[in-house]
Amino acid sequence: MNLATPFSLAVMAIVALSLLGLPIGHAMIAGSVLYLWLAGLDIGTAAEQLLNGMYSSYLLLAIPLFILAAEFMNSGSIMDRLLRFCNALVGRFRGGLAQVNVVQSIIFASMSGSALADAAGSGKMMQTLMTKDGKYTASFAAALSAASAVIGPILPPSIPLVLYALVSDTSIGYLFLGGVIPGLLMGMVQIAVIGFIARRRNFPVEPPVPLRDLPRVTWEAFPALMMPVILLGLLYSGVTTPTEAAAAAAAYALLVSALLYRSVSWRDVYNSLATSARVTISIGMLIAGALVFNYVITVENVPKSLAAMLKAYELSPLAFLLFTNVVLLLLGCVLEGTTILLIIVPVLLPTAQALGIDPVHFGVVAVVNIMIGLVTPPYGLLLFMMAMIAQVPHRAIVRDVMPFLAVMIGALALITIVPDLVLFLPRLLGYKG
Amino acid sequence: MPSIGAWLRRRAENVAAAMLAVMFAAFVVQIVFRYFFNLPTGWSSELTVIMWLWLVLWGAAFVVRESEAIRFDLLSGAAGRRTRIAIGIVTAAAVVILYGASLPATLAYVTFMKVEKTSYLKIRFDWLFSIYLMFAIAVIVRYLWILSHLLRGKEPDEDDPTKASSGL
Repeated sequence: MNLATPFSLAVMAIVALSLLGLPIGHAMIAGSVLYLWLAGLDIGTAAEQLLNGMYSSYLLLAIPLFILAAEFMNSGSIMDRLLRFCNALVGRFRGGLAQVNVVQSIIFASMSGSALADAAGSGKMMQTLMTKDGKYTASFAAALSAASAVIGPILPPSIPLVLYALVSDTSIGYLFLGGVIPGLLMGMVQIAVIGFIARRRNFPVEPPVPLRDLPRVTWEAFPALMMPVILLGLLYSGVTTPTEAAAAAAAYALLVSALLYRSVSWRDVYNSLATSARVTISIGMLIAGALVFNYVITVENVPKSLAAMLKAYELSPLAFLLFTNVVLLLLGCVLEGTTILLIIVPVLLPTAQALGIDPVHFGVVAVVNIMIGLVTPPYGLLLFMMAMIAQVPHRAIVRDVMPFLAVMIGALALITIVPDLVLFLPRLLGYKG
Repeated sequence: MPSIGAWLRRRAENVAAAMLAVMFAAFVVQIVFRYFFNLPTGWSSELTVIMWLWLVLWGAAFVVRESEAIRFDLLSGAAGRRTRIAIGIVTAAAVVILYGASLPATLAYVTFMKVEKTSYLKIRFDWLFSIYLMFAIAVIVRYLWILSHLLRGKEPDEDDPTKASSGL
């Protein structure tokens, strides 16, 4: 391989600039400009690709709206009510609060598409609850919140699945359905691990909520619990487009908080908008950079060359999926997930298709994998975030997250080997794949 | 000076929040009109996409700080002070040179787009896409500013992982 081609120089520039700490979106734009320059192409193409790509990808608008919905949910008292509901359900078991953490994440996951929003919102709340009176160690609570937040973007709605739909041209509706069983599976293995650790470390039990209170607690949380039903209903009845469903979800969260629970001020609404705008800008810049760099990758015909190269090895579909998993897990240790999803996954996709791997299956496996990357040391964003929120050393969280990491990788292996776990629900609702 | 900078940044954030609010409101209007009154509103989807494009580029130019952007900081975070400054100088110079080199061609592309208008709101595309020029110039100015700080031996911003916003 010639190292002095415009393409390899551009890739080296991007890698070097990002390793040196330049925001990755800027690094990709700068590297692509370098490529166009060296290759003697029109440098204005960078702006053209970015502007037209952003302007024509209507589906991407779901991302700011899902972020906004999660922010509205975090700012109102919806979260408190959900926590009380979860506590009434599972608080009575050993390690009750830890189980509440997971169950609450599963419910929150079906309203929000972002793991970081889950950790920042309910993760923060659970941290206070779990460490009050020294019930759990701060590092265990933080590790658990990080692990349970991973479920968020696997269960629909999901921002990474929207990004995958964009790069793979796959139906977002079927992708969301494909995430349901894997998401629940992730929750179940975490609950099992907590059950095991709880007996060994003798975790406390919460005072049981009397069963006669259950209807009231459920009723109070009911409007919040209805949100996933409404969201998925809109999506699968075909009443709205996925993007409109995201807007409806945000509107519903705002209405419930403002009118029903009366817990939101104008100040809160502004703060939710400003926070969501900031997150949107960061992820939007990464998408913008990826749009430009993906043009370079296409010009250079990289995905097809890789497909041809891997074909020579005569991999079986399963071997390729396992290979993909290992590559993505390793990359997840050092790279940020959105970048992997927008740059690496599209390069692997043509090979997957050539081997007859279902694109919905491939997408869900890739997203589960990238989500696990958020809690994989050393560079797991959720670990850093919870270390900051809980004020505990990073290495203490890493130690406590290990059992969760192990079972989640086990679950990932299972959905990789058994495609039906992903494809059963989409096929039930008409997916022909 | 820093107080004026901070004031401007807050106003830029107000604008970004307003753009998101407009996008959200346009969606709500669109849903209500289409499903309750059976009146499709093409202008609203156009408005939402315009807001998305402008929000991202406006925000990247004026709102989001380096420490909030998605970046990889293990190496630069672990290095000593002098190395960090040297690294900062290299990356900032690269950004200034490459964005600067692309500016003339970008200007040519954006002005060329004056021949087209959006379908519903009839906005000329050179106006619509001028946000990219604003973004590119702001990036160049910002990195020149960072460069001048680094050359005088001031350290770059520390990172705050709770503010890292990746949306995942």
